[in-house]
Amino acid sequence: MEAASVAHAAEHEHHGPPPANVSSRVEPQLLGMLLFIISEVMVFGAFFTAYFFIRVGQGDPWPAPGTELPVAVAGVNTAILVSSSLTMHWAQTSIKNGNRFGLKAGILTTFLLGATFLFVQINEYANIGFAPQNHAQQTIFYSLTGLHGAHVFIGLMLLLFVTIRSFRGHYTPQEHRGVEVPGIYWHFVDVMWIIVYSTVYVL
Amino acid sequence: MAAKLRAPGFYRAGWMMALGVAFAFFLTWVIRASTGHSTFRHYISGEAITTVSILAVPLLFLVGIGGFDYWFYWAMGRPTRPEDHSGHGARTWKDYFRINTDHKVIGIQYTVTSFFFLLVGGLIAMLMRAELAQPGAQFVDANTFNGLFSVHASLLIFLFVIPVFAGLANFVLPLMIGAPDMAFPRLNALSYWLLPVAGALMLGSFFAPGGAFADGWTAYAPLSTNAPIGQDFFSVGVQFAGASSIMTALNFLVTIITMRAPGMSFFRMPLLVWANFATSLLVVIATPFIAASQFFVLLDRGLGFNFFKAGNGGDVLMYQHVFWFYSHPAVYIMMLPGFGIISEIIAVKSRKPIFGYRMMAFSLLAIVVLGFTVWAHHMFTSGMAAWIRIPMAITTAIIAVPTGIKVFSWLATLWRGVLRLDTPMLFALGFLTTFTLGGISGVMLAMVPFDIHVSSSYFIVAHIHYVLFGGSLMTIFGGVYYWFPKMTGRMFDERLGKMHFWSTFVLFNLTFGPMHILGLQGMPRRVADYASRFADMNLFISIASFGLGLSTLIFLYNIVTSWRGGPVSVANPWRGMTLEWQVSSPPPIFNFDRVPTVVGGPYEYGVPGAVHGIFAPTPAAAGVGSGLARAPSE
Repeated sequence: MEAASVAHAAEHEHHGPPPANVSSRVEPQLLGMLLFIISEVMVFGAFFTAYFFIRVGQGDPWPAPGTELPVAVAGVNTAILVSSSLTMHWAQTSIKNGNRFGLKAGILTTFLLGATFLFVQINEYANIGFAPQNHAQQTIFYSLTGLHGAHVFIGLMLLLFVTIRSFRGHYTPQEHRGVEVPGIYWHFVDVMWIIVYSTVYVL
Repeated sequence: MAAKLRAPGFYRAGWMMALGVAFAFFLTWVIRASTGHSTFRHYISGEAITTVSILAVPLLFLVGIGGFDYWFYWAMGRPTRPEDHSGHGARTWKDYFRINTDHKVIGIQYTVTSFFFLLVGGLIAMLMRAELAQPGAQFVDANTFNGLFSVHASLLIFLFVIPVFAGLANFVLPLMIGAPDMAFPRLNALSYWLLPVAGALMLGSFFAPGGAFADGWTAYAPLSTNAPIGQDFFSVGVQFAGASSIMTALNFLVTIITMRAPGMSFFRMPLLVWANFATSLLVVIATPFIAASQFFVLLDRGLGFNFFKAGNGGDVLMYQHVFWFYSHPAVYIMMLPGFGIISEIIAVKSRKPIFGYRMMAFSLLAIVVLGFTVWAHHMFTSGMAAWIRIPMAITTAIIAVPTGIKVFSWLATLWRGVLRLDTPMLFALGFLTTFTLGGISGVMLAMVPFDIHVSSSYFIVAHIHYVLFGGSLMTIFGGVYYWFPKMTGRMFDERLGKMHFWSTFVLFNLTFGPMHILGLQGMPRRVADYASRFADMNLFISIASFGLGLSTLIFLYNIVTSWRGGPVSVANPWRGMTLEWQVSSPPPIFNFDRVPTVVGGPYEYGVPGAVHGIFAPTPAAAGVGSGLARAPSE
């Protein structure tokens, strides 16, 4: 290790690295988020595999007799989450056009809508009348909605940071990657919920 | 002292880990006390505290060491810090023991850590062979033996083969494509520090009550969901190792796509870069599946979920499907970067352009796609629907085709080349031999009747070691020797290197070759004891394996002494054309003074006037990297 460190301490320390060549039109942060979302889709894919084996493979009636899924409440909740995607889009277009009020209002509304969704979801767990320990069907219900809930929570954390920074006057029409990248994640969380809702509740 | 406790480093990590244990204690206590659940009769449970601790303590260790500092700073809404490069590069040996954003430092951190786990995993193998030298129980009881082979496999798969390739690529890949660093240096640093955490968890399972996890690296449910607490160490350790792979893979993909030097089109990239591109795609797509499979196990074990409780509608076979949907692509994750290393070595050491460059690249992508269509060939005897075996057998046979394209392309590259049989090249040729043998036994195993016959026998052990030891490890040794001068600025001892190769190659075949026969004769794998008719051959294998273990000492001695005091290496000892050889050895702290321009293919050895990269002369360039990276005249 000494050998390596001696030569590292060459005369090159006074300056930073040379600017890297930009070999793609896609920004690194954007590409990184897209690849991360591919990974996330695969996590959901694995949970849906379990869902498929337990629901379709076993062939038992779904939901299990004596249990009921609150399709209507969850439907309203879906509408809440989908509208939060629209307000997110509002915030993103606002900062691109230099509209600071639109950014702040949009991001705050998105955060509040997301928090409402999570609150309704937790309330649903409290009142649904079955537990994941009862049967594999309930296990997979809680696992899929819970996995999605965890993603909503992570998304909300990111939105909270963006909200704080928006109110502190960060982001400009030129430099708004910090809104863009969490926004993509939030849209992914919303689209994923539509898939979870339609497979778990509706179908 | 107070400043030391606040600053990122081991002191802060220490008290934060203690905090993690306290957190686990209180969390489990509060939950148990408040729910009053009938299963939680006692408010304080050692198992619950352990389970929460092995999640919380590693995370807080990472916080303490400083892996998240920048992002915390960002999350609090502070102004963005300008990059001061204070965490970049190594000036003393201590810089290797902290969060470092230099891809070269991280590459060495990765490689050295992985080799530590190779040695530990190898020692465990020695213990197993000692036990298996004679029938009956000598050194360990059956349960300990099960723990030994499980930890052996898990360490060598998750903490040696996968990360050591990430480490070697971390060092050379940005240099090869003309980038000053990886795309996300802080993520790169974090992904390294997840590794020792995962390793500590897996080794720590030996100290858990009930012993280490003892159901193999596959951890099939419901065996794993009913195992003692040591199983949690595996499930959580895999999460950390998997997160580390995903982060690195994402980083490689973004780096390769967005940071190539001007003129470095995809078809001018060295094949090592192609190989890591393909591997990273596999990692990003497949690894979430093993994460999910271990989440299922953890939820079943910790919270009483019913994923794998057949009595409650759970599906045991689902574990195997989800697990192998990752773990079959994982065998290519453990092989494709090695293909890249071999392509580099064989082209340089044959002084010829690589044969079929584009087919080499396309066959990598073909393996990526086909790798996702073969997982159930691990499950021919699992009791799944019988018809699935037919398409899986066919795709498994087909996936040998792109691999065959690569083997024949390497052979065609060797054909009439000016071969230089030094240590890296010997390992490359040794790889071709043993990997082809392992590949052939793989095609044999694709055939359903044969697979059923030898399933869970020593034939499987022989096959896996021919492809992972004879395949991956040979490429790793070759790669380490090949880039050792670049990484350290020193030359290794060629005589010791050759001794290492021949002892490894011969003893490897003596150890694992007879296992094919043992398997065909019906000796089951994963057992501590066996019928006395297998005794002679097992004794032979054990003696050969001890020799194989000793041969690693030659490697260690060579590497350590050469690193400390070997002859200083020139910048380009192998006369390679790829960009990493055009900078000094070891490379300057920011790799290049100015990013080079690429004007031709990377392997035009022996082609008159061929040029790969042009380095613009800069006033500051102190004798490095000026002029053309020209193919040396033959």
